[in-house]
Formats: sequence, C-alpha cells, structure tokens
Amino acid sequence: MNLNELTIKKAHKLLVNKEITAVELAEAAFDRIKKREKDIHAFLAVTEKEARGQAEKVDEKILQGLPIPFLAGIPAAVKDNILIGGVQATAASKILDGYRAPYDATIINRLKEQGAVFVGKTNLDEFAMGSSTENSAYGATKNPINTDYVPGGSSGGSAAAVAAGECVYALGSDTGGSIRQPASFCGIVGFKPTYGAVSRHGLIAMASSLDQIGPLTQSVEDAMVVFEAIRGEDHFDSTSVNFDWRGENQNFDIEEIKIGVPREYFAQGIDPVVEQTVKKAIKKLESEGARVKEITLPHTQWALATYYIIMPAEVSANLARFDGIRYGYSEIRNPKSEIRNLLDVYLKSRQNGFGDEVRRRIMLGTYILSAGYYDAYYGRAQKVRRLIQEDFSNAFKDVDIIVTPTSPTTAFKFGEKTKDPLSMYLADIYTVSANLAGVPAVSVPAGPVRSSPPLGPSGAQSAGATSNGAGLVNDLPVGLQFIGKNFDDMRVLEIAKFWELIRDEKTH
Amino acid sequence: MITKKEVERIAALARLGLSDQEKNKFTHDLSAVLDYIDKLAELNVEKTEPMSGGTSNESVLRKDDEAGDIATAEMKGNILDAAPDRSGDYFKVPSIFD
Repeated sequence: MNLNELTIKKAHKLLVNKEITAVELAEAAFDRIKKREKDIHAFLAVTEKEARGQAEKVDEKILQGLPIPFLAGIPAAVKDNILIGGVQATAASKILDGYRAPYDATIINRLKEQGAVFVGKTNLDEFAMGSSTENSAYGATKNPINTDYVPGGSSGGSAAAVAAGECVYALGSDTGGSIRQPASFCGIVGFKPTYGAVSRHGLIAMASSLDQIGPLTQSVEDAMVVFEAIRGEDHFDSTSVNFDWRGENQNFDIEEIKIGVPREYFAQGIDPVVEQTVKKAIKKLESEGARVKEITLPHTQWALATYYIIMPAEVSANLARFDGIRYGYSEIRNPKSEIRNLLDVYLKSRQNGFGDEVRRRIMLGTYILSAGYYDAYYGRAQKVRRLIQEDFSNAFKDVDIIVTPTSPTTAFKFGEKTKDPLSMYLADIYTVSANLAGVPAVSVPAGPVRSSPPLGPSGAQSAGATSNGAGLVNDLPVGLQFIGKNFDDMRVLEIAKFWELIRDEKTH
Repeated sequence: MITKKEVERIAALARLGLSDQEKNKFTHDLSAVLDYIDKLAELNVEKTEPMSGGTSNESVLRKDDEAGDIATAEMKGNILDAAPDRSGDYFKVPSIFD
C-alpha cells in the first residue's frame, strides 16, 4: 500500500468496500514513516499507539455496517503548533520542550468526531517563523523530492510528510504563506482559507490577525474534503465567522471565469523557470476557455514591509506568555542557574528557550510598538494594509480569480538564506498579501510532479542536476497560486481542481 | 538603523536576556530589517482608514463559563502539572524583589 497513490476519497472507498482496514492504512503510514524519516525528518512525534486506537474504532464501525464520514480512518499528520490533547506541542521551540497539550484544538475535535487517525506531529520553523523549516530547534526537514533542498516553511514537516506518503493529508498554519509555499516546494496542494473561516482555538498563536489553519494534500479534492470538515464558527475563536456554506458547491464553467494576472507578480526577482511554467499554465487555462486579463494590484511592492511590521508587533504580544512560569522550559528547573528574582526567570528562560529568529521578531515588534514609534510603524502599516485589501476588492470587481506564482523561486538549498534574514523574508513576497487582505488562496503544482521515490537509497536521487522533461531543474516543482475574494473559498478550489484536471491530461 | 543601546532597551522591555555577542548580532540584523520596512514612508496614507484586524466582527462575546467550557477538572490538573514549580493549585515563582 503506497499512501502516495491514495487520495482521501479513494482510501474511503477502500475502507467502505472492506478492501482494507483503517488499522492497515495506519500501518502503511507507519511503515513509510519508518523507512523515510531518517532521510526526511518530517515528524517531531509519531503517535502510533493513539493512531491504532483511533483506527480500531473506525474498523469496528465499518464491521457493524455503520456509515463513516470521509475522513474516518484516513491517516493525517498535524503541525506541531496545533494542540492534540495529551500529545506534545512544541511549536518546534526549546521553550515548549516536553509540553503536552491539555486539550484538543477545535479543528482536532471536529476531525476526531469524524474518526480521523492522527499519525504524528510535524516539524516547523520555530513558532511558524520561517520559510524553510531550518529554524526548528529539533533539526531541519528535507524536501522529499530532492533532499539537498529545503521543503519550504513554516509547515515544511506537514508538506514533506504528505509528499513522502507518510500520511494522506496534513494540517498546517499559514500566517504569511506557511501552507502555500511549502506545498509549492514539495509539489503538493496547500490551501489557506479565508480569514475567519476556520477556528484557530488550539493553534499556538503567532500573529493573530493573519494566522489561518488549512490543509496540505495530494489533490485539490482532498483539500475540499478537509476544509469542509474543519471550517465553521467556534465560540472559542471570536474572529471565526458564521458563514452559510450551503450552495457554495455550484456548477462550474471555465468559460464563465475571468482570471486576473497581476503584473506586479512578474516583476524583477522571479526565477525564469517559475515565470515560464506559470505563464504556460495561464495560457492553458485560456485555451480551455477562461478569459484572462492583466490586472494591477498597485500596492504589492509595499506588502512585505507591511507584513514585517504587523506580524512582529503581534508576535511580540503573543509570545509574552512564554515566561518560564506556567509551562515549558524554565530556568527554575535549571540546577546551575543563578536566579535571584522573578525577573531573572523571565530573562533567562526566554534567552535560552527561544531561537534567534523568534527573538529577532519579538524585538522588532517590541521596538515597533514602543513609545514614539507606534504611529510611524504600526499605525502606518495598518493603513497600508487597508490599501492592499482595497487593491484586492477593486480587482475582484473585474475578475473572479487572481492567478500568480506561489513563490518567486523553486525550493532552495540548505543554508542558502539562513545568514541573511531579509533574504529569507523575500521568499514570502507572493504569499503575504493574501494574509494581509484576509482572502483565500491555494497553491497547486503548475506542472507535472515526479512523485517521491519509493525507497531509493538515501541521497541517490539528488546526484547531479537533472531535468524531468517539464523544464524543471532537479525535478523541483513550481506552485501556481489562485486567490479569490473573501468566502469564495469553494470557487478558488473549484478552479484549482479544474487546473489540476487539465494539467494532468495527456497531450498528444 | 538602530544602536546597540536601543537593542538593550528593547530587549529589557521584551524580557529577553542577551549576551554581548548577541547584542551586536541583533543590532546588525534589526538595522537591516528596519531599513527595509522604512519603505512604507514612501506612501501618503493621510486619508486612509487603518485596517485593524482580519474580520469585521465586532464585540463578539460568549458566556464566561470557566468551569464547564474552559477547564474541566482533568484539564485543570494537566495545566497545573505543566508548571515548572507549584504549590498546591498555585504556580510558584521566586521572590519579585531581591
């Protein structure tokens, strides 16, 4: 059983037809994890015992002839900044080393009600801060397509786990591109829903006005299934919205669709391979009947600077709770520590518990919010954020969907951007705007993706530069990003699904 | 640009201990990022309304049902067990003054 070849609906059918059991599906995931983890390191914790229990319950239901929801018995991986009660939740930070979640996140609760099987917790950049998963306190994750390259981030563990067939789908969080960019780098689908569509209760907060939870999957249809299971209002997250999703799965006709291509996303800094692949995809959509139009999102060039004010400001507030008093790493427990008073506990626990990037962002945010600087930075950024949101609402008066590259480059090599923080920040330049505006966006492979090798010797697939015939260097995939208007999530996914279909059609 | 003295001030506000070497490193890193975000000064935003959050939801309230909703007895136990030091049902901290 190769989980790479299974979608949620296929696996569901196998379960219902009794061709496979949920326990066997879980075992297939653990076999794969045992074989691939030493090369990939997608997981920070594997929860075999819990998963077996969850799978057995599903098998029992099937044996009794009871109907099961789509996600029942399907092996899933969860980013380690989302809480599963009783299981570790480190956010890949030393400051949460050994911490066990005291309760389930709302989305975990909803998935458990469906009979989900959680195989483990996946790696990330510490507190979801980064674009390569190199910032994890527990070691970097590698890209399953080519292990010399990063999987992207911050949901790099979730993306790699799906791409390597270690689970059927995974959950991630996206504050500035952390679901879409790793999905793009690993050749899978990553969806960031509309802000407010999915509850974040039980997500370790990074930047609360930007954070959103979403699925990483093999196919767009799978992303729809997971999204339908996790969305909806929750009184534990006051930003979650009571939206009536019925009637959102309308019939879809490509000839009725107007696609906008923002010229600012094809400016300097884009890798020619990415540009060509994305433009080819847009041409193909046009030849299928979509109306394609060049548009402008005039404030795009200020989006990243806006993001790097709003995000760290919120980070500095959200991460104040990690103080060495209530949970996680604490100098109180360090026998060699010379603590004189409470202030020393704060200073030393945070110095030794947080990594460099986290401290950089906390300090940046503290500076931005400090007396005398607030108006110049935070106040101004909130206004530019409004202009960016208006860019999108203006564009959507004219087009139904916006298409762009997900990232200006394909996956990069380890260490390439770690010395210069700003160069790493630029990896998010095409994804941050959707978070600032709150709009839904999905990344789908723009060309054919070579699947992860079944069991090649470690590193063998990365020898020398090769081309897969689609013009992709070293087989590294390119992501195509579709952006829609608020709560047009299902349409965004329908169009992405249509793209997937025509992408995979055999050409003569 | 930011000076080392300012980095020391911010670190103290943020309750972050820093070694001397780290102070130099962060002074350099933060200066580069601040130079970049100064880009926003190019825009005239005098007449623009700020966007303060991700949704237009206003004053969302729920009943404050701590015992039933937030912390069941089991959850309360788990939360207290995670503390590095405690005394009964209290978190224990070192003295606030020397």
